[in-house]
Amino acid sequence: MIRIDCPSCGGRDEVEFAYRGDATVVRPAGDAGEEAFHDFVYRRANPRGWHVEWWYHQAGCRQFLKVVRHTMTHEVHAVARAGDRVEVPAAEHTGVPAAEHKGVPAA
Amino acid sequence: MSVSDVVKADHLTPGAYGAVGGDPVRIARVTCDVVQVMARKGRAADVAAALLASHEVVLPGPGAAAEGRGMTALWVQPEGWFVVAPRAGDGVLAGALKASCGDAGSVVDQSHGRSVIRISGSRAAWVLAKSCRVDLHPSVFGPGRVASTQLFHLGVTLRQVDAVPSYDLMVFSTFVTSFIEALCQAAEETGYVVA
Ligand SMILES: [Zn+2]
Repeated sequence: MIRIDCPSCGGRDEVEFAYRGDATVVRPAGDAGEEAFHDFVYRRANPRGWHVEWWYHQAGCRQFLKVVRHTMTHEVHAVARAGDRVEVPAAEHTGVPAAEHKGVPAA
Repeated sequence: MSVSDVVKADHLTPGAYGAVGGDPVRIARVTCDVVQVMARKGRAADVAAALLASHEVVLPGPGAAAEGRGMTALWVQPEGWFVVAPRAGDGVLAGALKASCGDAGSVVDQSHGRSVIRISGSRAAWVLAKSCRVDLHPSVFGPGRVASTQLFHLGVTLRQVDAVPSYDLMVFSTFVTSFIEALCQAAEETGYVVA
């Protein structure tokens, strides 16, 4: 069970939230081309380690939250409102080559 | 007697049910009007000023309720509130709030869409704890506190009304029959009185 500390509601169980995916992907410009949109829609870094993601507090304040979660330990490092920036801890050594971490977000 | 005998088509049959000899909780429907008020973008201060003038209420922040003149405002989300008041007839409360907010807020009458159930008694929190994930212990929760959460898999806006304690549980009206059944089942162990 993940506990998410909602900025409005306080600490709540994950059952109150809906996972809404990677919060680091950025919509390309309208004329960026088919490949850019394919990547935007389908390609995800799937990192082992810290990940910034959207969690929707559907049973609480009904706000989208930005959550920094560790994909191996489920530790939650930070929770912020959708428009806020979050700090992401430095990637620790996981035994996975750095190239596979290229999607690890900086913001 | 089973719960389906107590609750028929969302009508509660008065009586004492469940375990006897204990400390029963009281379960009742609350007849009220419910209106949703949401500030339009950048207009939260205007809505707050309007409702302070018209209903003498200081709109509450996260997790809180505030009393105004003849009404209670519940925080439900950033810049969004429920206003609850004793039933005054279709559109009366919503009309007054709409007139007050003008174009600063979006006002929607939810009186038919939401239903409120009150559970009261020294063991009310104990009964709710069977399903409630929010800590209702007096050291962290109390009168005037509000939480949007889930009970029995249903979305509910929970408000502690007094120190008895009494809790008002607001659910979608279409779910209220199943919600009351679940609540009564949870209260079998303490016994419950339907007024
Ligand atoms: Zn929340």
